[in-house]
Parts: sequence; structure tokens; C-alpha cells
Amino acid sequence: MALEFTTIALDIISSWVRMILALGLSVVFALAVGIWAARSRRAESVILPLLDIFQSIPILGFFPFVIAAVYGAAPNFVGANLAIIILIFTSMSWNIAFGVYEAVKGIPQDYYDLLNVSQASAWQRIRTLYIPASMSRIAYNTQISWAVGLFFLVSSEIISYGPANVPVPYGIGVAVAQFYGPPLDYGNYALLIAGIIFAVVVWRFLFLREFALWSEKFKMMEEPREQHKDPIMRAYSWISSRSISKLFLLKPGMGVTRFTSAISRFRRGLRYALVIFAGLFILLVLVAASSSGTLHAAAIPTISQVVTTEGSVLVNLAYSFVRVWYVVAICIAVGLPMGIVISLNFKLYDSVSPLLEVVSSIPAPILLPLIVEIPGVGHDPEFVAALVIFLSVFWYIVFNVMAGVRTLPSDVKELPHVFRASRLSAWRNVYIPSALSALVTGAITAVGGAWNALIIAEYFQTSSSQPPVTQVTYGIGKEIAKATYVGAADNLTLFLSVVSMTVLIVAFNLTVWRRLYHRVTKRYTYNR
Amino acid sequence: MQATKDEASPGTEVISVEHVSLDYHKEKEPLPVLVDVSLSGKRDELVAVTGPSGCGKSTLLRIVAGLIKPTSGAVRVMGSEVKGPREDISIVFQNFVLLPWRTALENVLFGMSSRKDLTDDKKMTKAMAALENAGLSGFENVYPGELSGGMKQRVGVARALATEPRLMLLDEPFSSLDDLTAERLRKEIHSILINPQTSVQSVILISHNVEEIIELADKVVVLSSRPAHVAGEIRVDLPRPRNKKSEEFFQWVDKVYALLS
Repeated sequence: MALEFTTIALDIISSWVRMILALGLSVVFALAVGIWAARSRRAESVILPLLDIFQSIPILGFFPFVIAAVYGAAPNFVGANLAIIILIFTSMSWNIAFGVYEAVKGIPQDYYDLLNVSQASAWQRIRTLYIPASMSRIAYNTQISWAVGLFFLVSSEIISYGPANVPVPYGIGVAVAQFYGPPLDYGNYALLIAGIIFAVVVWRFLFLREFALWSEKFKMMEEPREQHKDPIMRAYSWISSRSISKLFLLKPGMGVTRFTSAISRFRRGLRYALVIFAGLFILLVLVAASSSGTLHAAAIPTISQVVTTEGSVLVNLAYSFVRVWYVVAICIAVGLPMGIVISLNFKLYDSVSPLLEVVSSIPAPILLPLIVEIPGVGHDPEFVAALVIFLSVFWYIVFNVMAGVRTLPSDVKELPHVFRASRLSAWRNVYIPSALSALVTGAITAVGGAWNALIIAEYFQTSSSQPPVTQVTYGIGKEIAKATYVGAADNLTLFLSVVSMTVLIVAFNLTVWRRLYHRVTKRYTYNR
Repeated sequence: MQATKDEASPGTEVISVEHVSLDYHKEKEPLPVLVDVSLSGKRDELVAVTGPSGCGKSTLLRIVAGLIKPTSGAVRVMGSEVKGPREDISIVFQNFVLLPWRTALENVLFGMSSRKDLTDDKKMTKAMAALENAGLSGFENVYPGELSGGMKQRVGVARALATEPRLMLLDEPFSSLDDLTAERLRKEIHSILINPQTSVQSVILISHNVEEIIELADKVVVLSSRPAHVAGEIRVDLPRPRNKKSEEFFQWVDKVYALLS
């Protein structure tokens, strides 16, 4: 088979153009919404709760609606690309908007006094104060949003080009679908992966890093200096702090806390309802987990019919819930010791972390064709789903743990040596506790990412004329993916799937995560 | 095999630092940090080490503790060379370095990690005794985050004491505390450490506070600025308790300042 250099170059360039357009759109949106919310009390009370809710909806829930709405309205080249760009936008923009809001909120009063004295116009204020003040936050967020966006770019391209039959000529995801014959065209596939790694590395150094360094100039003196010198680690520790607010877990002292009173009353009432829902759900999980794989909602008619008219929604949700959690548990079991070992050893850290950077930057959906080819287990849809979820979220755990242990003062790391503690005692008393709060923030991000990964992990189809390459028996991601392919956005099942998934995730954030986060950060944070 | 006071009769050399030098290697160019530093501490002596900031005082302490290997020279405790962290050497840190997720008692017990010779009951008894000795009775089950700076440092002292060391190393133990708290702990530290009930036979104190040194030390070793060598050694012959307002006290302070500049 001939290697298609030109096609692959065009694929990568097309994908990057979509990403850049989505990023541009996200930044413009973030500036408009963030500045507005920060400067108007009334806008603040509406925009911030809305942003919070949008942030916690798993982005995969947007897929079918966006494709049906945008491509349905303009079934051509423009509509297809617009649909993909909007999907990436939904994964990129909320973080950046919060960043802008917090940056503008944090501008000291003195600057406003200065502008008032000089009678600056609204546009002058935006240009000379709000935008520069937001710049460093935008730059940090861009690093995060880029990695997240890449995942959705590939997923949406695969879905658009393949089963949904949307005419997208070029793109990384398009290439993945094209090179999957079957059989897989190994030569071109390898070339594609190499090309993507090259693009990711070059982009990171030529743009993301330069942008972050350049934006440092705009930092206000009042802002606390970042602790980690490594820009990438800085970004990863930053994502963890951002993801807190993303999941309603509000850290005291963060800018976000200011607006919470408006929605906290609403939340408090909601919480009891959610606790009941969560209890019901756990019951369902137990039923689903203890019965055979052929279990259908019909087996538990009373519970499912109370909550939904379409019987299978909650069963799918239960299966996905278990899937998300056992994979995250594996990620923790591997990532916690691995992150600790790497961070404690300077030489190992210096040699391994760049490697991890590169591997983590490969969007997991690209590896799907390779995963299904793994002899023995590649045809097991549960294995495929687990591995795709793992590859999508493992990095959040390991990078957070690494950042957590690295920021530990050197005399604390010295402690087990000074008192000649055994290895077991050192891990139990010092290393694991010191990584715990970083682990929780990493796990929160990982669980969020795992829900998002489901749409591609549970169901993979490269063309509408071919049967799915892999699909699980039950799963919410599978349901949503299938509904997307048939273009059935008005489907009740789909609607209920997205709603029940969102309710579950929000309920979990409010009840379990929030409590756990507060408890862990209160005790397991090292400060003098 | 624990240290008992009887092992060392008065005048025995407990700690000796012999011609210790340390180079940092930066891009193959050796950067000398310590040059031929020697000092010694006899039984029941508190030796203070001072010098300009950044001269390598804390580095010297870490060499004595066995955490850093010197480029040349040796450290001996009771005649045997220190080749790594040892059971009979303990440290009190400037920043306390307590585990925030463990109670005061658990922190002390963690310090006794290496005491495999003791049963858990014995360890508990010793840990409680160390906390009491450091003035912390009743605070056993409190987490460090709920303690004031002075109390935290008392936990640090108790943890170091509970390991029953021969040599106690104090790394600027008062400099993270506010003046009043530091003053109070300073008044007690000598009798907490050097008393017949403890195993401590010699103390090395790192400090940049000259008055503190004259208040506490039997001997002062003054280091020069980098690369540090011994600029001078002064024996402080003042009876205890020392009156910080006396004319005599200030004469000793001035002697150290003269060596420092």
C-alpha cells in the first residue's frame, strides 16, 4: 500500500485549522461572557450558574444535538465543519470563560480609579485593561483546552465522516476511519500517528509555550506567582484547580465563591432530591452488576418505570457508571504509585516526564483501530472500552500526583530518611498522604473525562455501511453514539440518556466529590 | 542498643567533624561550599554554629546528620563514622516538618519508626513521656494544623527526643516562631535537652541569632561566607541561667560579632 503523505498532511492541517477556529471562537466567547459577568452584577447572577451547568454536562451529550441542528440546517461542507467546530468549542470554552471572569474580577480597584480619572470609554477599558488582565489566564487555559479539544476533534470527525455520513473530506478522525479497512492499513496508520505526535510537539513549543511565556508580561503584581517552573506541570496543576469549580467543588478563596450564594439556596434544595436519586441509582447499579450480562430493564420494571418511560436508559447508565468507576480505580491503582516513584527520583522524573507528555498528547480515539487489533482481547468490547477510557484519563491521575509530590518541601521528603522509617512506613505516613489531595483533584477530572470518553469507547463504527467495529452490550455512551448516527436528536431515549447522565454526574459532584474534596484538602495539604 | 548517659563520662568527645569539605558539581566545575571544617562537641555541651546567611550552615548540619556525603573528611559520633542517617542522631527542623495528617502523638511515633527493638506499648510510653517533657501533655491527639507555631515546634522537639539520640541537631529551631514564643521555648530548650532523664549527650545548634547563641551555647563556631571555613571558635564561659541584660552577656555577643564581620 502506498503511503499517502499528502493526504495525511492535509488531514492534520484540516484538523488543526478546525481546532484553531474553535479556540478563537472560545476566546472571543470567553472574553465577552467573562467580562460581562465580572462587570455586571445582574449578568453575573445569570451567566455564572449557566456556565457551571454547561460545564458539568458531559460534552458528549452535545454531539447528537449539534450535528442534527447545524448539519441539518446546512447539509454541506460549511455545515459539516461548523458542527465539528462547535463541538470542539463546547469542550474548550467554559474553562476559558471562567478564567477571564476571575481575572477581571481580580483587577484591583486602583486600576478602575485610574480609568475613571482619565474618563476612558468602554472600548478603551476593554482594550487597555480587561483583555490584558485576562491574558495569562487565557494562555494557561488554552494549554488545557487544546488537549481536551483534540480528543473531541477526533471523536467528532470519526463520527461525522463515518457512521453519520457527513461529508468531511479531511481530518485526523477522518483518516482513522479511512485507514480502518478492515484490515487496518498499518503503513499509513503509523504515518498518521507519527504526524500527529510531530504536530502536537511542534505546536506545543511554537505556540502554546510561547503564548504562555508571552502572557506572563500581563500578570498583575498582585497575582501570586506560580510555584512550578515547568510550564506543562504548571498547566496540569492548573487544570486541577480549575476542575474544582467545574464540578461545583468550590475552593474557599477562589474567585468563583463570590457568585455561589445566588445558586447555593437552589442547590441546597436540589441536593436532597439528588441524594434520593443517587441512592436509587446505587441500588440499580447493584442489581445490574449482580445479574448476568443479558439483563434488561424489564427485570426491574418498578424502579426504571418510575424514573423513565424508556426502560433501558437507567440500565445503560448503570453499566456505564460501573465502567467509569472501575477504570478510574485502575488508573488510581497504577497512577498513584507510579506518580510518587517518578516524582521522588529527580533523574527518573527528568527522563520520564517528557515521554509521558508525548504519550498523553495522543488523543485516545486515534488508537482505537490498534486496540481492536490486539490479539485475544481486541474483540472483547469491554476490554476495548476500558482501555480507551484508561488512555483518555490516566494522565490526569499521574500528572496530578506528580505535581502534588513535586511541590512537597524537600525537608518533608527527607523526613523518612532522617528517622530511618521503613519503606512501608514512609509510603503510609508520608508519600501517599502527601499525594492525596492532588489525587482527589486528579480523580475528579478523570471521572469527568471518563464520562466524556464513553461515546467513543463504548461504540466505534467507521462507516454507516459497515457494522460497528466494537460495541458494548449496555452503555449510555453507546446509546448516545447510536442515536447520533441515525440523526435522531428528537429521540426520547437520547434525551433521557443525556438528562439522566447529567443528573447523575451533578448529584455525584454535589454529594460525594464535594465532601471528599473538602475533607481531604483540609487534612492532607502540606502547609507550614 | 540505646545510648545511656553512663557510656560517656564527662569530657568525652561525643561528636567530631574532621576536615569536612563539600563541593557542588555544576557543569563539571566544582563549586566549593565547605572548606576544611572541623569542630567537636563534648558530653553535655551545646555547640552553636553560626555564619553569614547562605554560608552553608544548614548544609553542614545535613552532613552531620548523614543526609549529605561530604566530598572529603569525616563525621564521627562516639568515634564511629557517620555514613548515613543513624538511630543516635536526631534533628529538629526550622519549619517543624510535621505530618499534617497525623496527630502530635502519631508524629512522635513516626519519629520512632526505626526502633524495631521496642514493643508498641513501649513506644507509646516513650512517646507520651517525650510529649510531656516538651510541655505538651493533653495535646497528644491534636493535629498539627490546630497547634500554634510554638506548640508545633514542641512536637518537633518531642519527636526528636523520643528517638533517644546521643546527638541532637537543631536547625534554626526558633527562627520560624514569633519573638515571644521563641523566647519562651529558648528558655526551656536547654533543660529539656540536656538533663539526666534524656539520652542526649551533645547538641549542635545552627543559628544566625547571636544573642540566642550566647544565651544557649557552651561553644560557638563561626563560619565565614562562601566557601565556608571556620573563622573562629569561642568558648562561652557564662554561668547558667544567663542574664541577657547583663554587661557581661553583651561582651560575649560582641566577641561573636567581631568574628562574623
